[in-house]
Amino acid sequence: MFAQLILKECRQTAKSIIYWLIVLILVIFFSSQLGNMDIAKKPKPGLESYGRYYSSNEQDIMKATLGYLVSEYTNGKYVTYPIGFYKMVTPDKEEQKRIGEIISETTGLDTKEEMEKALNAETEDSDAEASDKKKNHIIVLGGAPIAPSKTLTYDRFGELMREVDHLLGGGSQYNKKHLKTNAATPKTYEQALQEYEDLMEKDHLTGGYARLYSDYMGIMLGILPVFLAVTRGMRDRRSQMRELIASRRASSASVIVSRYISMLIMLMLPVLLISCIPLMECIQYAASGFHLDYLAFVKYSFGWLLPTIMIATAVGMVLTELTDTALGVLVQLAWWFLAIFSSMSSMSGGMYGLDLVPRHNTEYNYAGFHAGFTQLAANRVLYAVISVLLIAVTVWIYSLKRKGRLDIRGKLLGNRKRKSQA
Amino acid sequence: MSAKIKIEHLNQYYGKKQALKDVNLTIHQGMFGLLGRNGAGKTTLMKVLATLLPKSEGKITICGVPLENSAKIRRMTGYLPQDFSMYPNMTVYEAMDYLGVLSGMSKALRKKSIPKLLEKVNLLDHQKTKVKALSGGMKRRLGIAQAILHNPRILIVDEPTAGLDPEERVRFRNLLCEIAEERIVILSTHIVGDIEATCEQIAVLNEGEFLYQGTVSGLIEMADGKVYTAQISKQELPRIKEKYIVTSILALGNNVMVRFIADQKPFASAKICEAGVEDAYMYLMNGEGSEV
Repeated sequence: MFAQLILKECRQTAKSIIYWLIVLILVIFFSSQLGNMDIAKKPKPGLESYGRYYSSNEQDIMKATLGYLVSEYTNGKYVTYPIGFYKMVTPDKEEQKRIGEIISETTGLDTKEEMEKALNAETEDSDAEASDKKKNHIIVLGGAPIAPSKTLTYDRFGELMREVDHLLGGGSQYNKKHLKTNAATPKTYEQALQEYEDLMEKDHLTGGYARLYSDYMGIMLGILPVFLAVTRGMRDRRSQMRELIASRRASSASVIVSRYISMLIMLMLPVLLISCIPLMECIQYAASGFHLDYLAFVKYSFGWLLPTIMIATAVGMVLTELTDTALGVLVQLAWWFLAIFSSMSSMSGGMYGLDLVPRHNTEYNYAGFHAGFTQLAANRVLYAVISVLLIAVTVWIYSLKRKGRLDIRGKLLGNRKRKSQA
Repeated sequence: MSAKIKIEHLNQYYGKKQALKDVNLTIHQGMFGLLGRNGAGKTTLMKVLATLLPKSEGKITICGVPLENSAKIRRMTGYLPQDFSMYPNMTVYEAMDYLGVLSGMSKALRKKSIPKLLEKVNLLDHQKTKVKALSGGMKRRLGIAQAILHNPRILIVDEPTAGLDPEERVRFRNLLCEIAEERIVILSTHIVGDIEATCEQIAVLNEGEFLYQGTVSGLIEMADGKVYTAQISKQELPRIKEKYIVTSILALGNNVMVRFIADQKPFASAKICEAGVEDAYMYLMNGEGSEV
């Protein structure tokens, strides 16, 4: 019965306009972001630039962050992104004084004059284009690197930067997550070559592009499934079919889980099908005899993207079942919005944390992926487990509603009626 | 186990409001009519029996199975709610097939049963028609077909003829009678004509309490000798309405033929006539002979 139910639900989904809109958006998004995928070419020596990377060297991070902090302190204004949006913060006297004390402790620079002098000493080299030419130079936006005092430990530095971030209301370059992206460093030819070789040998080309594909598709899959889940959940009530289904023999678990699984299947289908396009490009690019990982896109689609689809669908299902409204869309939209902006600082991969949408916006950085793999795996397993728990809650809510023991919508409407009568 | 529904001391509350008051009832095979005004508690009783509402107090067994065993009860019961429809984009056959799967029917059984049932409800020619294209009467017939799809021993139908035209209503009643030959059919309605035409056993529910339980003829007997007709002028009508329970009025030019209930012969021109179910129901609902 269960398998037949899944099949019937899949057919229903295939007839839904929302589903085809989702497919269309995925196709358009893929075409706009990865439609003209240039497969990586082996770097040649002697080029002006090989791109940049974020240095993980603690000294580099401290230098760059302190340079940026001093630059903002002397201007008296700080740029933050508290909920993803740009915000210019002007701290009050007390806060500015405290930041000055922190700069003094971390750099030994006590006065504004000293700070400006330190900045100017480096400014000539701070132009990004010019800096790229210099090997191992740290690029600091709007400023120049400033050396930390010799006694400053990285732990103490982290502590003080957290305090600055707190004083600025959060979302600044000084929070823990952003610190690692402050020290951008130009890549050397050797580094670029190493990355290319990693892509070809360790990632078998497709691995790197499957990650890039997952990065882009994950953005859309963090929000789109909720629309399908909410419309499916509301269809029973809108079609006045709730009681016909509720009075049937099928258990609440089989009704809800079959719907969930069918939505996952139907959402994975376009993800897998679209992935055939970059796979074909990789196949075309690869020289004969080159060992491609033909299943890379499938592996990444299931391992990386499926948990995102699972959680977005589960949030939609549980909130729709609970409230009989489209609240799930609002909640998921808010979560997705915050997740997208907060993960912007970790776009180059390797820092996956608890991001709803893990980012790895490059076919390279296998080393970062490798180093952050445990984190990524934990992230994906966590979301999959939460999704399963949410579905268990949905089953429970559905079974209560089915027996007439829960009617939140009725209560809400009842309250509204009573208020309007009053 | 014989097909029987036994309800003992059922009380049902919605918050502080009591929707059913100490309801006791035994229903045997055949057609059982539940009559009452809108809001009398009929739908509440139907939903409790269909396990869609938890009972507050009392004991109910269906074919010997306690109502608490909802999984087993759902296998035995078919339910047609008052307000229902189906996914509009599904065809008639697809809707039946989907509900058949939810009833745990095998593919082979569904393939065999659905065309038969659609033929029974005269929808076989419309099996490929989308639900959204069906008329109200067709939808009701499809509703009955889905309710008996898994061959339940009990069929619960809540206000099935509401909104149907007279022809559809007659067709629908006949269909229910056919179905009731082999199972218990509980028909809830506020339309007296539906009960009169189909049910032998009935109960009249008012404000959550049974005013009457028994046969249709027993109900009619209660109003025997109390129903009169008279031809009166239109000017006299308000006075008659005020004094007696008027069950029908027929306009005859400047006069009206009025049918009403009175304990004694009210005036010389009034003629006693045979009571009908509607007369008896009105007599009962207006506070006379409130006995069970």
